[in-house]
Amino acid sequence: MVPDMVDRAQSTPTPGTGAAGTGAASTAAGIGEGATASETLAWFGVDEGTVRRVLAELSARGADDADLYFQSTRANAIQLEDGIVSSASSSVDQGVGLRCVIGDQVGYAYTEDLTEESMLNAARTAAAIANQSAAIPPQALSARPARADYYKLERAWPDVGITQKLPKLQQAERLARAADPAIRKVSIAWSDSDERVAIATLRGQLLEDRRPMIRMFVMLTAEKNGETQAHSSNIAGRRGFDWITDLRVEQVVREAVDRTLLLFEARRPPAGELPVVLSAGASGILLHEAIGHGLEADFNRKQTSIYSTMLGKQIAPDFVTIVDDGTFEHERGALNVDDEGNDTERTVLVENGVLRSYLHDSISARHYSVKSTGSGRRQSFRHIPMPRMRCTQMLDGPHTRDEIIASVKGTGIIAETFTNGQVQIGAGDYTFYIKNGWLIEDGRITAPIKDVNIIGNGPESLRRVSMAADDSKLDTGGWTCGKNGQMVPVSQGLPTVLVSKMTVGGENRG
Amino acid sequence: MADRELLTRASEIVDLATRSGADGAWSNASRSRNVSYTYRDGKLEEVKDSTSRGISLRLYVDGRFSVHSTTDLRPAQLRSFIDEAVALTRALEPDPYRSLPDPSLFEGRSESDLELVDPATYAIDRERRLDWCRNMDERVVGKPDVVSASSSAGNAEYESAAASSNGFSGTYASTSAWLACEVTLRDKDDSRPAEWMAASARHLSALPAPAEIADEALVRARGLLGSVKGPTLRGPMVVERRIASRLIHRLCGPASGSAVQQGRSFWKDRLGKQVVSEKLTVIDDPLIVRGLASRPFDGEGIAARPLDVVQSGQFANLYLDTYYAKKLGMPPTTGSASNHVIELGDKSCDEILGCVGSGIYVTAWLGGNMDSTSGDFSLGVRGHRIEAGKLAAPIGEMNITGNILELFSNLVEIGNDPWPFSATRAPTLAFADVQFSGE
Repeated sequence: MVPDMVDRAQSTPTPGTGAAGTGAASTAAGIGEGATASETLAWFGVDEGTVRRVLAELSARGADDADLYFQSTRANAIQLEDGIVSSASSSVDQGVGLRCVIGDQVGYAYTEDLTEESMLNAARTAAAIANQSAAIPPQALSARPARADYYKLERAWPDVGITQKLPKLQQAERLARAADPAIRKVSIAWSDSDERVAIATLRGQLLEDRRPMIRMFVMLTAEKNGETQAHSSNIAGRRGFDWITDLRVEQVVREAVDRTLLLFEARRPPAGELPVVLSAGASGILLHEAIGHGLEADFNRKQTSIYSTMLGKQIAPDFVTIVDDGTFEHERGALNVDDEGNDTERTVLVENGVLRSYLHDSISARHYSVKSTGSGRRQSFRHIPMPRMRCTQMLDGPHTRDEIIASVKGTGIIAETFTNGQVQIGAGDYTFYIKNGWLIEDGRITAPIKDVNIIGNGPESLRRVSMAADDSKLDTGGWTCGKNGQMVPVSQGLPTVLVSKMTVGGENRG
Repeated sequence: MADRELLTRASEIVDLATRSGADGAWSNASRSRNVSYTYRDGKLEEVKDSTSRGISLRLYVDGRFSVHSTTDLRPAQLRSFIDEAVALTRALEPDPYRSLPDPSLFEGRSESDLELVDPATYAIDRERRLDWCRNMDERVVGKPDVVSASSSAGNAEYESAAASSNGFSGTYASTSAWLACEVTLRDKDDSRPAEWMAASARHLSALPAPAEIADEALVRARGLLGSVKGPTLRGPMVVERRIASRLIHRLCGPASGSAVQQGRSFWKDRLGKQVVSEKLTVIDDPLIVRGLASRPFDGEGIAARPLDVVQSGQFANLYLDTYYAKKLGMPPTTGSASNHVIELGDKSCDEILGCVGSGIYVTAWLGGNMDSTSGDFSLGVRGHRIEAGKLAAPIGEMNITGNILELFSNLVEIGNDPWPFSATRAPTLAFADVQFSGE
C-alpha cells in the first residue's frame, strides 16, 4: 500500500505456509501438449462460450488488449521441529484475473468464484477503465501449446503422497543432529506446489502452463561455549520428487551446518569503502539489484529508472555480458510462457558492456514498438502483470578466482552467502546483506566475517567491475523477488567478480 | 448480516471436519473488498477492484495437527478437501504440545466498540476516488523538476468470522481508506530520486487532505536533490518518526515464542532483565479505538488485552500462542503483535535535533538485515546531516552497523510526536554512538 519504491529480492526463511491438496489425484482433463481449448478450460470448470461472453463484457467499453488469467495452485507444506513432524498444511487457491488494457491504462478485477455471473460482474468492473465502444469482438479460442516445456516432470506433485515425503525430512534431521555436537535445534521445512494456468486473450489465443515447485529448508541453532548461532540453507527449483535424492539432502544439510558453525569464528570487517569479491553463484544478487530492476521496462517508459536514457551505451567493461533467461530447465525462474501468454526467451541485457535491452511486458513492448521479451509476470490471479526478471546471470569473464583474490591489495572482503537485497530504481542506490563472507588482507583470505550490509550505486558499481572469472553458475537456493508488493520466484547467478570499491557496513572500534 | 453468513460457514466447516474424524477443529471464513485507483502524470493509469473470499481450517486428529485453506467453496469440492485434509493429518506424528486453546482464554472479550468500521467508507464511489487522485496529481504534475508522479487512493472492507469445536465463536469487521503520492525528480548525473507520502486510517475523517499528501511528497523529494555519499564515523543518530517503527520491530519481533523456543532470539534468557535504556516502554495494545491493528480477539480466539512488551528497559513478556507457551511451560499471551504503543517523551523533533547538535538524521532505510539470535545488524540509510541543531545537506549511500541491544541501550531521546498512520505509533528516536559507514 505504501508506494514502496524500494523493491527487494529476498530469500524467505519462513516457508511452511504453503500448501497443497495432498492426495488430490490429477484430473483426467489434464493440461498437456495438444489439449483442445475445451479440455484446457474444463480443469477450471468453465467452457469456451462462457470465456467469450466474459471477454466480450471485458472489452465492451473498448480495449487494445483484454485477457483472462485462470489459475489453480495446490500447495503442500510439512514442518519438522524438535524431532517431530508436527505440522503440515495444504491449500487450494484458484480464481481468475480479468484485465482490460487501453494504451498504458489497465482496469483489473478478479474473482475466486468461477461462475459466469461472478466473472461477468468482475468483467464490468475491470472494463470501467475504458469509455469508448468495443473495438474488437472476441475471437474463437484456439489452444496453442507452449514452444517448449522447461520443467517436465516424471510425476506431478499431487501424485506424491505425504508418506513418501516424510522420510526426506527425517533424513535431513538425523544428518544435521549427527553432524556436530554443537547443533542443538533442527527444523526442516518442506513445500511443494502444482500450479495450473490458462490464459485466454481477446484475440483468441489460449495458452496453458503447468508449473511445479519444490523447496526444502534446513534451519539450525548451534551452541558453543555459551554462545548461540543460527543459520539455514535451502534448495529449490521447478522440480519433482525424484530430484530430492539422498545426496542432495546431504549436501543441503552439510551447507547449513558449515554456514552455521562458521558464524562462531566470524567478526565484523572495518567500516567504509573496500574492494569486494563476489563469489560465484548467489552473488547474482548484485545483478538483480544493481541493474536488473532498473532494466524493467515499466520504470523506463515512465522515465523513473536511472537507466532510462542508457540504451545502446557502454555501461560496464567489455568483458561483462548479462542475460535474463526464462529457458533454464527446472530453475526457479524458468517459465514456458509468461503470465500474459508470451513465449519466454533468453534476453541479452548487456552485451560486452553495452546496454542492449530492457525487460518487456506487452504494454512496454507496444510503447517501445518492440517484441515482448516474455517478461510479463504476476504473483497470482489477484495481481496485474508487469515486467519482471526470471533467471539473471552474468556470463564467464577472462580471469580466475585465484587471480581475483590475489589482486586485492590491503583490506577487502569476499561475499559468500546472502539474505536479502533491495534497490531504489530512480536514484540507483541498492543494497544487499552478506550473512557469510571472508576478510582478505593483501591478497590472502584471513578470517570469516558475518552480518554486513553493502550499499552502492548501480551504474557506478557496474563501471567498477574490474575483474570477472570463468566460473559463472546459478545459485541453487530459492530466491523470491518483490516488486510493488508482488512476489515471484527468480534465479540468479554470477562468476566470481571483483568490484573495486563498495561501501561496507562494518565496525571501527577503539 | 454478512457476519452471520460467515459465522455459519465457519461453523459448518468445523462440523464437516469433526464428522470427517477430527477431534478438534478451528475455522475462519473471511470476505474482503479492495479498490484502488492510480493516476500518473495527469491521467488515470490503473483501476483495481475486487471482492475476495476464502476459508482456513486448523485440524487436531489423534494428537496430530495441520493447517489448511481453500478458495474453492463449491460444496462437493469443499467436502472432499476437508476429507483429504483429515487423512493427511493422520499421516503425521503425534505432538503432545498441540491443542486448541483453553476455552477460558476466550473469556473476557472487550465489550467496548473499537470503531473499526467507518460507515462513511461504504459510500466512497468512483468519482470520489478520482477526485482524490486528481487533487494529488494536480499539485505535483507539470512542475519543471518532476519527471513523473503517481497518485493513488483506495479503500478496503474486511469481514471475518471464526468458530471452533471447543466453543469459540466470534466475528469482526473493519474498513480502511488510504492516499499515497510518489514523486520522481531529475537530479544531477541524470539520477532520478523519488520520495513518497502515504496515509491510511480506519476512518475517513482521520485522513489528511489529498493536497497535503502530494505537497509533502514533493517537499520530501526536493529535499533529496544534491544528495552526496555520507561519511564514515561514530556519532549520534536521530531517526524520523515515520520510519522509527522499523527499529521497534527489530527489537520486539524476536519476542515470539517460536524464535525463543528454537533458540533463535536474543530475548532468550533475558525475560525480566534490564536489557535496554530505561527510557523505553513498549506496550502491545489491541484495544485502541480505530487502531490499524486493533482486534477483539487474536488468531486463536484469545480475548485481546494489552501486553507489556518492554517495561522501562526490561524485557517484560513474550508473544506466546498456545503451542509455544506449552513448549516453554509458560502461560499463553497472544501469538501475534497488534498495535505497538511507545511511551512518549516530552520533546518535539526540532527540540531533539537542537539537543543533539550535530549528527545524522535518518529518513529512510535501504535494506539491510539483523541476526535475531545475536541482535547484530547492518542497515542501509539515507537522510540529512544535523549541523548546529538543525537539518542540513542530504546524504545517502551509508550503512549503520551494530547490535540492536547496544543501540537501544544508547537511546537518549524519545519524541512527543507519534506517527499516526501506522499500527506502530513511533515517535522520533535519538541514539548516541552509532557506527556509520560511508565514504
